[in-house]
Amino acid sequence: MPAPPPLINSSESTGRMKIVTRDYLFARGWKSAAPILLLLPGFGLYLLIAVGPSLATAVYSFTDATGIRGIAINWLGFENYDEFLFRGAASRDNIAALRRTLIFCFFVTTIQFCLGLLLAVLLNTRLRGRTIFRTIFFMPVILGVAIQGLIWKLFLLPGGGPVAEMFSWIGWSSEFLGGQPRQAFAWVIVVQIWANVGITMVIFLAGMQTIPESLYEAARIDGASGWQLFRNVTWPLLTPAVNTNFLLNIVGSLQAWQLFLVLIGYRPGTQVLGYLVFAEGFGQTSGSVSSAFRQGYAAAASIALFMLVLIIALAANAFVSRREKKYLS
Amino acid sequence: MKKTTIWRLCAVLLAFGLLGAACGSDDGDSSATTAAPAPAATEAPADPEPEPEEEMAEDVTLRVLVHQNPPMVEFMEAFNESFEASHPHITIDLSVVEAGDLSIATQTRLSAGDIDVVGIFGFSNAAQAYMSGAVPPNWQTLIEAGLLMDITGQPFVDNYDEATIADAGSFNGKVYSINLGRVSYSGMFVNKDLLAANGLDVPTTWGELVTACEVVKAAGNECMTVGGADGWPVFVGAYGLLGAMYPDQEALVEGLWTGDITWDNDQSVEMFRRMQIYTSDMLEEGVTGLSHDAGPPRYAAGDVAFMPTGVWQAPALESAEPDFDWTYVPFPGSDNAEDNQYLFGKYDQGWAIAADTPHPEAALAYLEAFSAPDNYQAFANAVGFIPTQPTAVLDTHLGREVAPFLANYRVGFEQYWVAPAGAGQWANGSQAAAWFSPFNEWTDHVALASQAQADLQAGLDAN
Repeated sequence: MPAPPPLINSSESTGRMKIVTRDYLFARGWKSAAPILLLLPGFGLYLLIAVGPSLATAVYSFTDATGIRGIAINWLGFENYDEFLFRGAASRDNIAALRRTLIFCFFVTTIQFCLGLLLAVLLNTRLRGRTIFRTIFFMPVILGVAIQGLIWKLFLLPGGGPVAEMFSWIGWSSEFLGGQPRQAFAWVIVVQIWANVGITMVIFLAGMQTIPESLYEAARIDGASGWQLFRNVTWPLLTPAVNTNFLLNIVGSLQAWQLFLVLIGYRPGTQVLGYLVFAEGFGQTSGSVSSAFRQGYAAAASIALFMLVLIIALAANAFVSRREKKYLS
Repeated sequence: MKKTTIWRLCAVLLAFGLLGAACGSDDGDSSATTAAPAPAATEAPADPEPEPEEEMAEDVTLRVLVHQNPPMVEFMEAFNESFEASHPHITIDLSVVEAGDLSIATQTRLSAGDIDVVGIFGFSNAAQAYMSGAVPPNWQTLIEAGLLMDITGQPFVDNYDEATIADAGSFNGKVYSINLGRVSYSGMFVNKDLLAANGLDVPTTWGELVTACEVVKAAGNECMTVGGADGWPVFVGAYGLLGAMYPDQEALVEGLWTGDITWDNDQSVEMFRRMQIYTSDMLEEGVTGLSHDAGPPRYAAGDVAFMPTGVWQAPALESAEPDFDWTYVPFPGSDNAEDNQYLFGKYDQGWAIAADTPHPEAALAYLEAFSAPDNYQAFANAVGFIPTQPTAVLDTHLGREVAPFLANYRVGFEQYWVAPAGAGQWANGSQAAAWFSPFNEWTDHVALASQAQADLQAGLDAN
């Protein structure tokens, strides 16, 4: 039996190949700065585009910034937070938006996760035309939110739209997006799932294709049924994809708001926190005329949203880390 | 690591640096470097006459922003072509955004110095002395930030009537915008053929309206339609009802702020009751999916008696069915016909110039050309606005229909209302029509009136 090939940091060589030594990439002295120098542009861009605006938002949340050049910005301390959480009936509406955001997150994450997994399992079999089905299910992901919204506005026309027509076959009727807030909200959940289930499916598919076929063959020889194959082979080895999808679905749904803008607009009883941030920051809260741009207040709302995402994401991350240890360590 | 690798690394970093520098050095139109210096913020050019050779002879691209309104955009495209023909060195770059996005586009493009001439709605919703803690409206903030040019004294300003300039384009004694027209949003289109076929006259009281609806519906037709999918057309359609119950809308706003008027007093509760009837009984089924733009073609089909909406829908209605016989009357929201003679509305589209435009001469020339009486008359005819130039007339079907009511034109509640900070989402009771089923969850007008007052009071108490 031949000896295993040497590690990349070995300075020895075999008769079969020349080994690339460590000091080519990570030399001693000033040359060792190469990796850092290579990372610098990307890190600089990250600071500029991601960290900078985030810190600026945190600072703005303590001011009365309007976002209009030339207007003095005054320091308000915690006044925006006080107004957002405790002042008048508006705070009640803000808390309701927060609650709605959590409800949206729960349904989108749960359904999108399960549906994505189901589609991936189906499309990972030797199904005829599976490439076409994969394309069809993934296609909504590449459409912009405005296009997604317009498509569903047409689907959901109450008078004679395709969905209304199908409902009429079984004696149902609905006002869809223009009707009761709960109905409209439910339809946004449907569209959000339709728009993003493709990416969930693709991540699961990628995970499934890394599972060695030999494990399935061994399990089949042992007499495992289809469900047992999934339960004892696919599911544990899919852990990285499961965890990725779980976190992506949670964070994505907590931050979602564009579909609310396109499908419903600013309507009492339907806003989620992300939409509230946009509406307050860009004067869209009156329903008709433009209201004042309250970007300091909107920044406070977005920090509240950030805290919500952070807490839930940390808890979810702790959960998936434990799960990863359980299955993969 | 070899020396060549180090050099390659340095070359890559240098390339990044150059890329960053190139991205950061864009200061707009190259002509800006040769244009005359921009006037100081909020000031007009000291003298619009001088330096015609340098400034006016340069090729200039004038960036103009308007909101989507099909007849207006169509007119603007034709006007721009004609303007470019008479000013060969000026090219117009017209941007069109949805009406709801206009304030965002205006603010961002003004702040970025990326626009020369902006379409701006008539100045409204100013914070009054009795509005404790109210946030100033956006147009006021733009002026205070020095982003709009002071056009006081420009010759074309005199083409507009003084009241318009004072009410819709001035702040602290200076003129910042010329407003191009008033619109009424409190009336309704009436299908004359359908009423005649059912032996009905144009209703002048609430009772007559209810009866007319019952008759046309009994005959298999529909009472009212409106672009309900966009939300706002539903409550705008009921602004006439609000106006009929509270004809002095400025006083209504003040009364709500001071507590002299409440959303749950007897008069308001009756208004909420009628709004519920309008929403739940008068509007045809399926309007929750009908967009604002789809309203006129639907109405022009001929089987709907009324369409409560703004006069700006008239050109689209004529375009949808030229032979359709209609009139436009105030919404008869009161049982007393005397109260139903007012048309409420707002100052619509206007023009303002960015204070730091690199092309002030071209921008002023653009407004001057637009304000020439012939051009303005053509604009008024195209869009159906009630003219703000005294020499212009609304020589259209709409103009003839609304002429009897123009003496009773008033600025509406929407233009005076400012919500107190901390008020709840139901505090603006003028929008209550859009909160009843099928558009929202409310089915009890008394409960909604009470909730509206509670949400308003919470805001008043919080300041």
